[in-house]
Amino acid sequence: MIQLKTMLNCIDNSGAAVVECVNVLKKKRPATVGDRIVVVVQKQRNFGADSTGNSGIANKVRRGDIRHAVVVRARKEMQRPDGSLVKFDDNACVLVNKSGDPIGTRMNGVVATELRGRQWSKILSLAPMHV
Amino acid sequence: MNRQQGEQPVLISLPPAMATSSQFTRQLGCIRPLMKPQLFIQPQISRRSITSAFTPKPEPVPFPTTIPEQFLSQIPDRFRPHAPKKLKIYPPPPSAHAKCKDPIATVTESQLAVLDPTGERRALFDYRRSARSVKVGDILRVTFKNGDPFSGVCLSIKLRGIDTSFLLRNELTRVGVEMSVKAFSPNVESVEIVKRTEKRKRRARLYYMRKPKHDMRSVENIVSNYLRQKSALTGQRSANRKKR
Repeated sequence: MIQLKTMLNCIDNSGAAVVECVNVLKKKRPATVGDRIVVVVQKQRNFGADSTGNSGIANKVRRGDIRHAVVVRARKEMQRPDGSLVKFDDNACVLVNKSGDPIGTRMNGVVATELRGRQWSKILSLAPMHV
Repeated sequence: MNRQQGEQPVLISLPPAMATSSQFTRQLGCIRPLMKPQLFIQPQISRRSITSAFTPKPEPVPFPTTIPEQFLSQIPDRFRPHAPKKLKIYPPPPSAHAKCKDPIATVTESQLAVLDPTGERRALFDYRRSARSVKVGDILRVTFKNGDPFSGVCLSIKLRGIDTSFLLRNELTRVGVEMSVKAFSPNVESVEIVKRTEKRKRRARLYYMRKPKHDMRSVENIVSNYLRQKSALTGQRSANRKKR
């Protein structure tokens, strides 16, 4: 149930830590796992290197940036085709660019398997674990 | 109607005379009422109208007995010379209740016979009847048909016949994950009890374990310990698989 003003954790290394949903794309309902949303970066990770401009682990996004993102975990339970339910303890997303490729190169945290059905296999392969 | 209207004048003229005469005959000794009738007569005359005329109820005309055959269909059934037509009474539809007293239970039984022929899974979750069943607070490990295992603390068991399900909670990569699994789903290959709860839980639903104070956090190390012991005992290949 991710909608306007929902705060999500960003679990990739793009540099964003906490983002706020400002729009749900392609549906008139709250977003869930696998949905694309528009977010504003509210808090960025401080790697320490970004202030000096060291390009090694510099943040790719800054606070206030508007980006697209894909929801990878949701508090609201999802029903699988066999009737089982899966829910997570937080809402999390991964930033993507306009063409749908993830901005970060690494992810930390479990994601939902529903991403595969939504053509987000690239994100699923980056994730360390999926449920 | 014309005949009755002709009679009217006669009828109107009669009552006042009768009213006054009856007054006189009834109360001879009383003088006071004598004053009043004079007042009454006048309005009575003016009140009379054509609608107050008495019309006797017309004599019922006997129903004609000889009606031509072709008109019989137009008159009500009870006036027809012959006996009224018999109403066709349909028998009630066959009762479904007589056929199957409790259809839900029957369907459940037949489905359980298909999905759980040995009754093993049923005994594993029916915590009301079997003592060795799963209890809330136990750590379970579920293996699905597609090979994905999932393990966690059992927070609740919902006994709903064929829809019986149990809720597992675990922590993966420091994120709490809950999964509700249908016990009789054909996707569930096996359910193992990794570790029994030390003390019997005094609640049927352990939703309080979602709170940070009571959260068990990750059960992965308990499960991996169990798997190591199991593979050591059975000496099978299950040790080299990556567990979660």
